[in-house]
Amino acid sequence: MAETDARDLFPGALEMMVLRLLKLEPMHGYALVQRIQQASRNLLQVEEGSLYPALQRLLKEGLVKAEWGVSATNRRVRIYRLTPAGTKHLAREVSSFERMFQGISLVLSLGET
Amino acid sequence: MTLLNRLFHRRRLYDDLDEEIRVHLEQRADDLSARGMSRKDALIEARRAFGNVTNIQERGRDTWQWPTLDSFFRDARFALRQLRRTPALTAIIVTTLGIGIAASATVFSWTRAILLDPIPGAARPNDVMALESTTPSGSWTPVSWLDYRDFRKYLRSFDDLAASYPLALALGDAARPERVRAELVSANFFDVLRVRPALGRVFTAALDDAPGSQPLAIISHALWQRRWRGDTAVIGQVVEINRFPFTIAGVAPKNFRGSLPGEDVQLWVPATMVGQIMPTVSSMLRDRDWRTFRVLARVADGRTTQSAADEVRRFGTFMSNVNGGRSKGMSAMLLPLWRSHWGIQDGLRAPLMVLLGACALVLLVVCANMATLLLTRATARRRELALRMALGAPRARLLRQLLTEASILAVAGAALGLVCTFWFARSLHLLVPQFAAPSLIDPHVDAAVVGFTIALACGATLLAGIAPALHGSRERFDESLRDGARLSAGTHATRLRGLFVVAEMALAVMALVSAGLFYDSFRHTRSVAPGFTTDGVAIGSVSLTLAGYDSAFADDFLQRVTERIAREPGILAASYTDYVPLSLGGGSWEDLQIEGYAPQPNENMKTTRAAVGPGYFETLGIPMLEGRGFRVDDDSAHTPVMIVSDAFTRHFLNGRSALGVRVHGWGKWFTIVGVAQDVKTFRLTEPATPYFYVPVRQVYRPEYGYTFIAHGAVSVEQSVRSIERAVATIDPSVPVYGAMPLADYVDAPLRGPQTAARLLALLAGVSLLLAAIGLYGVVSYSVAQRAKEIGLRVAFGARKADVLRVVGTQAAVLLAYGLIIGLAGSLALGRIVGSLLFGVSPADLTIFAAAIGSMTLITIAAIGVPARRAMSVDPAVVLRGD
Repeated sequence: MAETDARDLFPGALEMMVLRLLKLEPMHGYALVQRIQQASRNLLQVEEGSLYPALQRLLKEGLVKAEWGVSATNRRVRIYRLTPAGTKHLAREVSSFERMFQGISLVLSLGET
Repeated sequence: MTLLNRLFHRRRLYDDLDEEIRVHLEQRADDLSARGMSRKDALIEARRAFGNVTNIQERGRDTWQWPTLDSFFRDARFALRQLRRTPALTAIIVTTLGIGIAASATVFSWTRAILLDPIPGAARPNDVMALESTTPSGSWTPVSWLDYRDFRKYLRSFDDLAASYPLALALGDAARPERVRAELVSANFFDVLRVRPALGRVFTAALDDAPGSQPLAIISHALWQRRWRGDTAVIGQVVEINRFPFTIAGVAPKNFRGSLPGEDVQLWVPATMVGQIMPTVSSMLRDRDWRTFRVLARVADGRTTQSAADEVRRFGTFMSNVNGGRSKGMSAMLLPLWRSHWGIQDGLRAPLMVLLGACALVLLVVCANMATLLLTRATARRRELALRMALGAPRARLLRQLLTEASILAVAGAALGLVCTFWFARSLHLLVPQFAAPSLIDPHVDAAVVGFTIALACGATLLAGIAPALHGSRERFDESLRDGARLSAGTHATRLRGLFVVAEMALAVMALVSAGLFYDSFRHTRSVAPGFTTDGVAIGSVSLTLAGYDSAFADDFLQRVTERIAREPGILAASYTDYVPLSLGGGSWEDLQIEGYAPQPNENMKTTRAAVGPGYFETLGIPMLEGRGFRVDDDSAHTPVMIVSDAFTRHFLNGRSALGVRVHGWGKWFTIVGVAQDVKTFRLTEPATPYFYVPVRQVYRPEYGYTFIAHGAVSVEQSVRSIERAVATIDPSVPVYGAMPLADYVDAPLRGPQTAARLLALLAGVSLLLAAIGLYGVVSYSVAQRAKEIGLRVAFGARKADVLRVVGTQAAVLLAYGLIIGLAGSLALGRIVGSLLFGVSPADLTIFAAAIGSMTLITIAAIGVPARRAMSVDPAVVLRGD
């Protein structure tokens, strides 16, 4: 984790990634952090702790559910699971993000072809 | 998760979070240790990677916070800071709001004491109504005992009906007599009002069927404390009432003051004992035409007042037909207590209603003013709000912020208003003189008044806070943030502010006009000549019934006291009467038959009268137009004589000479020996009505309550003392009450209208001032906003006069709208209050012109400062920008 050019996230990005990962399978907080770091190849700078307020927000919105369970390392952990509302929300967010990303890319690629 | 669940489980939510974070840190440390890091370093590294634990815990918890409650305090703190930053504005808003609320709450407390809570201490008073008989001409009259018994027996709409006859009685023996206000009541009186005794018992209903059998009395709590020092052994004690022994059966509860609004009744005696305490009037209970009782009826559960009123009217008409005779053409009506004709509320209803209306008007002005000022500030704060919105503050949040500010102002205003109300409410005696309404000296600020104040404050917040708040959150914030935004103030805001100022000015004009109308009306009333003199005249009353006098002794006593008074130094003339003109209500009438006059069918021949002593007209300075006044020898041994008023001859004798005409009343024929000039009998505003006088010594009188009148060349206080001295010389056991200058006495009914007129003038002044403040705010704000524009104009060669015109035009437009709406409103208002005015047209030109003039002057004054500021704008400074 010594990447100097890692960058901060825009608001809502963390939530979107959490939802995407939970769509694969239910998992606990620490596992989520590890998966984000692995999947992003450490390109993203995520303060580990900031995951938890994000999870609380998702809980409150009813996009995820949580229950206590036991981890692979035999610890009592809280396991998060996507709700149907969360699935819908994720689809909307992803498509809106893709449009934005596409727009930004188009502008950035001006005159390059 | 429901809101409720969340509230109760928040604790667990927090614990879950803390536990989760702890596990996370351990897992990370385990991983690091597994890679060969020392346990201590691993823990440190885990924390570093996690970030600030406490901060994250808090952020996680914040998600679950109760949003409104939590941020309310933040909003409130912020609002307080904002308000402190503009102390002058805050002070103006809080003070004006305080004044508006205090005035309204005070008038409300009076209204409550006089109209809304006429019988304190009675349970469910709203079901109690007043039943009054009506004469063929439609006016009200008290109910006779026999009629009352029939109403009670036959009416089906009521749980029960009670009767009461208010009077003064003598309490105690000859050595220590005391005059107390009392009510002769039907035995069920306390049951109907649902008043439980504080001590002992109340009358039992069976009493009414056995007249004279049970001399029982109930005393008031105050009388018990004063005369018996709260001794519980008072029950069963015997006390003399009008020299007849009565047994005290009970003590009324502390808050019960009898059934007459404004009165402080101390003693209740069964009406059936009237023969024992006033032997001369015992036929009161057997004579259907002897109408003296106030009837209170408790509407039965499940009956509407409308159906009850219908039954009363139907049955009243039916009864008068059955009974015939003098009841012919009469009926009965049912009235809410506040509209009942008994008690002081009758004369105070109109002034109170007008004052309540005026207060509502002023409160509206206060709200409009608060809205204007808040709006002005909200506009000045556009950049701040825009910045906060750009930083992500939700719109609802800003709206809440602005409303919070308004409510803080309202709470401060209400608190100030309430303090003032406690203070003002005591000034009720301004409206009603103490001798007319002894129970109203206490302030009546209770839960209802406080509730009313809070409701006013809430209303004011919503009225004054919502417009600025909506406006504030509606702003196009991105525009506000742009550089040149200040050149053009939001047109929306300007229009809204203009609207409020116009409303303020219109309401102020209405307040001015109504104050003018009522003041003028009062002035006209005041200037009416009553037809008798009050200068140097003193009065003092006695009740001979309670001193145990019978008819012959009473005549002798009255004559001897009068002669004694006349011998006092400086006294020019003295006499007595059973009715002092311009008394607060009262008066008696007699059914007349007039020689040579054929009454119209259904014509009401009940004519009001006074029984007076010799020298009455001379003492009061009432000119005789024809014939003579009464002489000492107009007594039972001589021909019955009568003196009639000028209006009497005009109405009944059609220009014929009245002298020698014979008139029948009291079962005998009187001969008219004189015609007196008309005097005002009940009210200064009444038209001249037929009236007549008979000698006290020639008529049958139910009661011996008389008032001595002394006209002196000395100070009126000395004349007052002359009456007291003379009575004490002739019979020291007869107490004199109500001894005072006649001028004070006849002024009493004017107190209400006078105070109302003064308060109206004050309220109009306040609203005028408020309109000026609002106008000042708007104009000076717009001058500040347009400084650049004005600077440009000056730079291009505009003269000071041109600048003044720009500012003046804005004010003139607002003024024009305000005047037009205000005058239209005043005309509409005049239609409503027209019937309450005397001697002034509701569209009085002078008053309207004065209102326009004042409003214009105050407009000029209000824009003076901002106009000067505009004219002194230096283009070199303003155009250089900030």
